[in-house]
Amino acid sequence: MEEFLQNYGFLLVTLVQQSLLALSLYFPLTAGQLSLAAPGFYSLGGYIAAIMATADYFAPWRDALGWAIFPLEWLIAAIASALLAFLVGIPALRLRGIYLALATIAFVEILRVLCLNLDITGGAVGIFGIPQLFESRWGYIWTFGPLLAATLFFGYRLDRSRVGRAFKAIREDELAAGAMGIDATRYKVLAFVIGAVLAGIVGAMSAPFLNTWNARQGTFDASISYLAYVLIGGGRSLWGPVLGAVLLASLPELLRPLKDARLIINGVLLVIATVYLPQGIVGALHRLKQIALSRGAAARGGDGRHP
Amino acid sequence: MGVILEARALQRNFGGLVAVDSVSFAVEEGEIFGLIGPNGAGKSTLFNLMTGLTPASGGTFTFRGETLTGMPPHRIAALGIGRTFQNIRLFKGLTALENVKIARHSRTVTGLLGGVFGSGKSRMEELSVEKKAWEILALVGLADRGTELSDNFSYGEQRRLEIGRALALDPTVLLLDEPAAGMNAAEKQTLTGFIREIRARFNLTVLLIEHHVPLVMGLCDRIAVLNFGELIAFGSPAEVQKNPAVIEAYLGAE
Repeated sequence: MEEFLQNYGFLLVTLVQQSLLALSLYFPLTAGQLSLAAPGFYSLGGYIAAIMATADYFAPWRDALGWAIFPLEWLIAAIASALLAFLVGIPALRLRGIYLALATIAFVEILRVLCLNLDITGGAVGIFGIPQLFESRWGYIWTFGPLLAATLFFGYRLDRSRVGRAFKAIREDELAAGAMGIDATRYKVLAFVIGAVLAGIVGAMSAPFLNTWNARQGTFDASISYLAYVLIGGGRSLWGPVLGAVLLASLPELLRPLKDARLIINGVLLVIATVYLPQGIVGALHRLKQIALSRGAAARGGDGRHP
Repeated sequence: MGVILEARALQRNFGGLVAVDSVSFAVEEGEIFGLIGPNGAGKSTLFNLMTGLTPASGGTFTFRGETLTGMPPHRIAALGIGRTFQNIRLFKGLTALENVKIARHSRTVTGLLGGVFGSGKSRMEELSVEKKAWEILALVGLADRGTELSDNFSYGEQRRLEIGRALALDPTVLLLDEPAAGMNAAEKQTLTGFIREIRARFNLTVLLIEHHVPLVMGLCDRIAVLNFGELIAFGSPAEVQKNPAVIEAYLGAE
């Protein structure tokens, strides 16, 4: 067991971390908003944690708070992400579909170039030697694990609540949602902020986990990876993004013996999945279940004389 | 009784096309008010102006003296103006029950955290939303289909569900855009009775757009006739039927 964790602990924690980032795309998507801004907020959260953990200015804070500086980092990352998402969301969410996706990619790029050039973020080198919260990589399961559990609980309850229903109404038909009394702008911004806060906290937790933080953490490539998780797993269920992240993030590891050919297989799988599973794997499973149920009902319906 | 809705010189231009041309009329509280006219006369545009989905190019529209022109759709809905759509706009990927529950939005207050953590107040509210939604499904005859996706419903069932969804808003005014479209004669008959029933039960004022003339003549207290965006006639069914301008619009001039 110990040896297994030594070899695979980092991978397992990474899978949980990637699941969380996939979920940060899922929340805006429940309100029908295709936002690719997650890496931007992830990067922001990570920089906040890295700076609070290493900058001289925060030394007295670290001495006074001890380990409690870590939850404080998460909290500040969450608040900063929420504020930035609010500011970016209000103008950006006037755009729809692919235009919103493009605007959020631009946001991620602007933030990346900014971090690359600021002194406080360590420029192109980034921030090194971020103090560790746990002795081993595997230890970080105790921060990412509970966060994933809390996020799944949040998503499950949200889906069955008044606000969650408002999100779904906007996703299904924004105009009809307005005519039914739902302030679409307000709930679109809220869904965007929820996704941003999650990505920001994950970033703050990831800074010590990865030990260094630099501008490569928030890139366009990451946006596309998270989008692929959601597309393959399925964007209409809470489990889709998690399943997609676990499958796609472990794939390079499983295909390691194939060396560079694994990138080809990775790409081919993506294409096949998007063509044949438009609702993702979870969506396809759900459909199968419904077909089985209606067949069952038809069979119970009896002799076929009653349509 | 008194005036509940009033349009004054309501205008909407789409580029060079005048879809609604300086239309003025008043709707009395509690009446069933019919809007008829040939295709493209501007009837649905008028509904969209009233519910804020299309901004007016000019004129005003008031509800109990309050100006609705310029108000966003969700606020107009919250004031108690519910509607259905000509080309049915249900939330297709959601169940019939969820469709109805969504329309309780403006009558409930639970916020993000209250809903997620299930505070006592939010749980009570959720229970009442659930109860109300099932009552409405029973009212429109879909009580046994609540957990099915609305997309699987037949055309007539979708029209009924859409009326149910609008009723879940607790409306004072109900706008029905071609509620009988695609229904057979028996269904139209049932619908007429149903509209009368809900008007009495919920003290509604009903505006309806309809092409099926016998239904409109039998059901409506007063009728407004639109042609090319202009209001050409206004009055009781009998008066409107005799109006030469109406006969010309429908049958053409001699």
